Amino acid sequence: MASIYFAGIDLGSTMTKVVIIDGSEKVLASVVQHTGAEHRRLANRVMEEALGKAGLSVDNIAYVIATGYGRINVPFADKQITELTCHARGVAFFFPKARTAIDIGGQDAKALKIKDGKLVDFVMSDKCAAGTGRFLEVIAQALGLKLEDLGPLSLKSTRKVTISNICTVFAQQEVVGQLSAGAALEDVVAGLHDAIAGRVARMTRRLKVEPEVVFTGGVAKNAGVVKALEENLGCPVLVPSDPLLSGAIGAALIASETVAKLQASGTFKPMTGRRLEAASFFK
Amino acid sequence: MVVATKQGMARVDELYRERPQRVKELKSGGKKIVGYLCIYPVLEMMTALDLVPYRVVGDMREPITKADSYMPPVVCPFLRSCLDTGLKGKYDFLDGMVTSHICDVGSSLSGVWNYTVKTPYHYHIDTPHTVHETSLEQLRGLLGAFRKSLEEFTGNKLTDAMLKAAIALHNEQRALVRELYELKKPDPPLISGAETIKIIKAVQSLPTNEGNALLRSVIADVKARKNGPVKKSARLLVWGSILDDTALMEMIESLDANVVMDDTCVGSRPFFEDVKPTADPIDGLARHYLVDIKCPRTFRAWDFYATKKNYMEDLKARFSYLSDYARDWKANGVIVESVRYCDTHGYEVPGVRDYFKEVGLPSIYLEHDYTEGALAPLRTRVQGFLEIIG
Repeated sequence: MASIYFAGIDLGSTMTKVVIIDGSEKVLASVVQHTGAEHRRLANRVMEEALGKAGLSVDNIAYVIATGYGRINVPFADKQITELTCHARGVAFFFPKARTAIDIGGQDAKALKIKDGKLVDFVMSDKCAAGTGRFLEVIAQALGLKLEDLGPLSLKSTRKVTISNICTVFAQQEVVGQLSAGAALEDVVAGLHDAIAGRVARMTRRLKVEPEVVFTGGVAKNAGVVKALEENLGCPVLVPSDPLLSGAIGAALIASETVAKLQASGTFKPMTGRRLEAASFFK
Repeated sequence: MVVATKQGMARVDELYRERPQRVKELKSGGKKIVGYLCIYPVLEMMTALDLVPYRVVGDMREPITKADSYMPPVVCPFLRSCLDTGLKGKYDFLDGMVTSHICDVGSSLSGVWNYTVKTPYHYHIDTPHTVHETSLEQLRGLLGAFRKSLEEFTGNKLTDAMLKAAIALHNEQRALVRELYELKKPDPPLISGAETIKIIKAVQSLPTNEGNALLRSVIADVKARKNGPVKKSARLLVWGSILDDTALMEMIESLDANVVMDDTCVGSRPFFEDVKPTADPIDGLARHYLVDIKCPRTFRAWDFYATKKNYMEDLKARFSYLSDYARDWKANGVIVESVRYCDTHGYEVPGVRDYFKEVGLPSIYLEHDYTEGALAPLRTRVQGFLEIIG
């Protein structure tokens, strides 16, 4: 049973993640790369890299599930499942007692309700940059800071500034105003983290917030946002050791479960001649 | 003069692509075409005087460019699109335009249309929003005034006999639409949600008797064909704002779902109750249009007082017909949708979702913005919903 392999591909708007597991749910390889303009067409390159790390060839993979915004751009996948379902599964894998999951990615934010390891409800915000990774990218660039510096800097704050604007563009203007009025940079950044966390907490409260609460996505690497989220929700927030992988791991686990079900009903037919190639409808 | 063209679904497709083709033919033969906005203008009164009612809708695939000079951008994009289409001359063939008080934006649109698009005959029925006896009395009076206005416009008397005949003809159409909807009960349904919109829209672009003939040929066509919708895991009910384009339905039905029933107005809403026969036909019409049509623009105040201010009892009084639809059409999930800025439906969403939760029907809320472009994120939500209920 251990020498059967499954792959999950999470093709996000900003990052592409691939995870390969074996039949005992052991992670053999994981790769995270920038999606960019290329990877939307070339999910196969990221998959090749993961296969290389795992020491496998594509013929060893029994089932591939694609998820994420670009899931239709993975022609070698057996099935596409939304990142909503996959994240819920991945979060439950990391934290079996998780009931609420918050994922803040590059371009959207989602809150998931999880029961017995499965998705039961969700709320999404994807019409607006505020409350997403994009908000922090814009602000970091405007302040001449690196994204990874924002977290540690904000933790030095003693008097966080309130950013009143909901809109990313107007928040940027407000930040400039605050700094020229003499506010300390760490206080402004703490205020920005509070703004993004407040927005996401409000969205999450539309589903009843129940512990354990887990936070995933690129923005979860920012300790300042984690702290602000805990303050806004009024409860502890747990972050997996690699917060970007919950979607891809969830997809790989669902691949494993799908094959187990198909094998049990005697209907599993592995895809033959699986070719790693670019999505063809762009030609 | 008129060559008989295609029948059944082929004719529906033709009309869906170019809606005004038939009324333009009728106009050149001397008929008067009267546009109407929404389902509250009383069509029977127009049909009775041999006017051809023609439903005015927007164009989801046409960017709104002219309407923003006359209406603020933060209002219903469907109504803005209607105005935009009118300003671009697409409704120049109309001899008249009849509107009703759907909502504030709809009423404002009526006035703006009158000043800018300048359809020769214009009438606005200020339909009340509650279902008290006094509201019914008010509507009867308003319809009396509408009658006089139509008589002046046509130069003909509108007798009770003519009105009763028109009511019978429109009731025939309602019965035919209900017969069509019966074909959505099997699994898989014989017509898709997207096809239903096309059919209703085609019917609302024809004079009533021709619409009835089209419905009969569609029903026969659909019963005989072999290439209808395929069986899917989910059977969905769609509730909400006007869907006058197939794009959203096609997106939903491209996933593992069939839309088997709806509570929308290019859909079941105008057709599921008949006008009851009354000695004075105006009585039956007033009751039908104000009370029997179930649209959130009408506030069912008397139900609330009758159920002693209990939230769940009130919801059941207002929405139990929806669980009947779900039961009869065997729907296992609901898509609650509204167009952005639609207060009328937007304010109803929490209540209707609470009702569905109470009766054990999973639902998801989609807010869309009457454009084709923004459907991709909605697709993820619908697919996520189907993965939950699947």
